[in-house]
Amino acid sequence: MTQPVSIIMIEDDEGHARLIERNIRRSGVNNEIISFANGTDAVKHLFGADGSGLVQKGNALLILLDLNLPDMTGIDILKQIKENKYLKASPVVVLTTTDDSQEIKRCYELGCNVYITKPVNYENFANAIRQLGLFFSVIQVPPATP
Amino acid sequence: MTAEWQRRRAFWQILLIAAGLLVLTVISAGSVYLVNKARDDSKWVVHTIEAENQINALLLEIRRAESATRGYLLTQGADFKADHDKAVAAIIPALDRLTRLTGDNPAQRESIEKLSAAIETRLGQFAREVDFVQQGQLDKATALVREAASADTTAEIGKVAAVMIQEEERLFRLRTVNSDRSQTLAASMTGIGSGLVVLLALISTWLVRRSAGARDEAEARLRDANVNLEAVVDERTADLREANNEIQRFAYIVSHDLRSPLVNIMGFTSELEELGGDIFRRIGGLTHVPADGPPPSTGEIALEGPDKQLSADFSEALGFIKSSIAKMDRLISAILNLTREGRREFQPEKIDTSELIEAIVSTLAHQAAEAQAEIHIAPLPDLVSDRLALEQIFSNLIDNAVKYLKPGTPGEIRIRGRTKLGYAIFEISDNGRGIDPKDHQRIFDLFRRAGTQDKPGQGIGLAHVRALVRRLGGTMSVSSELNTGSTFTITLPITWNTSNRNADQ
Repeated sequence: MTQPVSIIMIEDDEGHARLIERNIRRSGVNNEIISFANGTDAVKHLFGADGSGLVQKGNALLILLDLNLPDMTGIDILKQIKENKYLKASPVVVLTTTDDSQEIKRCYELGCNVYITKPVNYENFANAIRQLGLFFSVIQVPPATP
Repeated sequence: MTAEWQRRRAFWQILLIAAGLLVLTVISAGSVYLVNKARDDSKWVVHTIEAENQINALLLEIRRAESATRGYLLTQGADFKADHDKAVAAIIPALDRLTRLTGDNPAQRESIEKLSAAIETRLGQFAREVDFVQQGQLDKATALVREAASADTTAEIGKVAAVMIQEEERLFRLRTVNSDRSQTLAASMTGIGSGLVVLLALISTWLVRRSAGARDEAEARLRDANVNLEAVVDERTADLREANNEIQRFAYIVSHDLRSPLVNIMGFTSELEELGGDIFRRIGGLTHVPADGPPPSTGEIALEGPDKQLSADFSEALGFIKSSIAKMDRLISAILNLTREGRREFQPEKIDTSELIEAIVSTLAHQAAEAQAEIHIAPLPDLVSDRLALEQIFSNLIDNAVKYLKPGTPGEIRIRGRTKLGYAIFEISDNGRGIDPKDHQRIFDLFRRAGTQDKPGQGIGLAHVRALVRRLGGTMSVSSELNTGSTFTITLPITWNTSNRNADQ
C-alpha cells in the first residue's frame, strides 16, 4: 500500500515557513505539510507524550528542519530523530541560513539527508525548494519499520 | 626601604671597615713603639745595675789594694806585693769602664772626676808605701800610712762612691718605674685595641646580617611581585581573549541572525515582483480587451501611458530594494567570513614563500596580462607559518596591485623580501594609481575604500589582510603617494608558534 508522505516543517520564522510552503506547492507537491514554530511542539508531535516515537510508527514522514530554533537547536532534534528506532529512517532536510562548513559537516555526520542553505538570492532559493519538491515527488520514502 | 637608606647603610659599613683598619694600624704602630720603648727602658735599667756593680767592683779593688799594701808592710811577703800589683792593675781599667758607663750623666761625670783624683792620690800613696817597704825604710812607710789615713783619701773615695751609688739607685728606681709604665701601656694598648677590633667586627657582622636580611626580604618581595605580575598578565590576557571571543561570537550571531530576516525580505520581494508582474499583466489584459472579442490569451501585453509608467516605477522600486538587499547580504557574508577566519586555528608549517607567491601570480596571470602588468619576484625568505593565511594575505595584496594600476601605463609590480631579527619583511610595490596619505589609515578599515570607485569590491580585502597579519604576530604598513604607486610592507615572524599570538583558539 502506498501511504501519503506527510511533511513535517520545523521552522520558527513564519516568513521562511511561508516561502518554503509556497515553493513546495508551486513545484506541484500536494502532500500534507504540518508546521511547527518551535522545537518543543515539534518534538512532542514526533515522539509523542512518552517520548518514545511510537506514535509515528508506520507513518511516512519527511522532516524539514531549521537549525536555529528559539527553544533548542535543530542539531539536538536531528540527533534524537536519528537515534529513534521508529524515526531514523525518515529523511531529514536541514534548512538553515549558515553555510558554515563545520556545521554542514556535523549535520551530515549526524545523518541528515540533505542540507540546504537558505540563500538571500531568492531565485536560487526558490529553485532549490522546487528541486526539493521534485525530490519529494519522486522519492520513495521507505516505510517505517513495522 | 629607600635608596637613601641603602646608601646610608653602605656608607656606615664602609666607615666601620675603615675605622677597624685605622684602629688596627694605630694598635700595630703603638705596640711597636711601646715595645721598643719598654726594651729601651729595660736596657737603661740593666745599664744602671751595671754601673752600680762597676762602682762596687772598683771599691772592692781599692780595698784589696789597700789591704795588700798593709799586709806587705807588715810581713814584706812577696805574695802580698803580687796581690797589690794585681789589684792596682785592675783599678785603672775598672775606673775607665765606669767612666764609660756613666758618661751619659753629667752629675756622675763630676763625681767620677773627683773619684779619679782621689784614686790617683791613693794609688800614688800605695806606690810610695810599696817603694819604701822595698827599700827597707819601714818607718817612712808606716808614717806614710798614717799620713794617708789622716788625709782620709779612702773615706773620700768611699763617700764619692756612695754618692754615685745613690745616684745610680735613684736612676734605677726611676727607670724601673718607666719600664713598668711602658710595659703596662703596651699591654693595655694591645688589650684595648683588640677589644675595639672585636667590637667593630661585631658591629660589622650585625650590620652585614641586617643588610643580608633586608636583601632576602627584598628578594622575596621581588619574587612575589614577579609572580603577581605574571598572574596579572595572565589575567589580563585571559580577559582580552574572553573579550575577543565575545566579539567573535557577537559578530557571528549578529551576522547570522541578520541573514534570517533578509531571507524573508528578499523572498517576499521576489514574491511581490511576481505578483506585480501578474497584476500589470492583468491590467494590460483588461485595458486591451476588445469590447466584443475574447480577451487575448497569453503573451506580453504592452502597457500604455500611465499604466506603463506605474509598472516602470514599481520595477524600479523593487530593483532598488533587491540591490540593497544583495549588498547587505554581501556585507553580512563578509563579516561572517571574517569572524570565521578569526576563529580558524592556524596550522604552522614550513613554507617555500617563493613557490607560494609564484602560484598566486600564476592564477593572476590573466588579469595581469589584461592590465599589461609585469610581476617581478625577488628571492624571498622562507617561513614557518599558516599556509592559507599567507595565501590570502599575498593574493589580496597582489590582486590589489594588479587591480589598481594606472590606466595607460604598463604596470610593474615587485615583490621583495628580507629578514631582520627573527622577522621576515616583505614588500609589495607597484607603480599604480597610489593612495592619498590621508586615506592610509582608512583603507585598512572594514568596508572602507579610497580613491576613484571604479572597480568592484567590498572594502574587505585589506581589513582581512591586516587582521591575518596581526594574528600571525606581524605588522603591516603602507607608504604611497597619489599617482606614484604604493608599497605595502608586511613584517611576519619567521617562525610562527601558538605562543606568538592567540594561543586561545
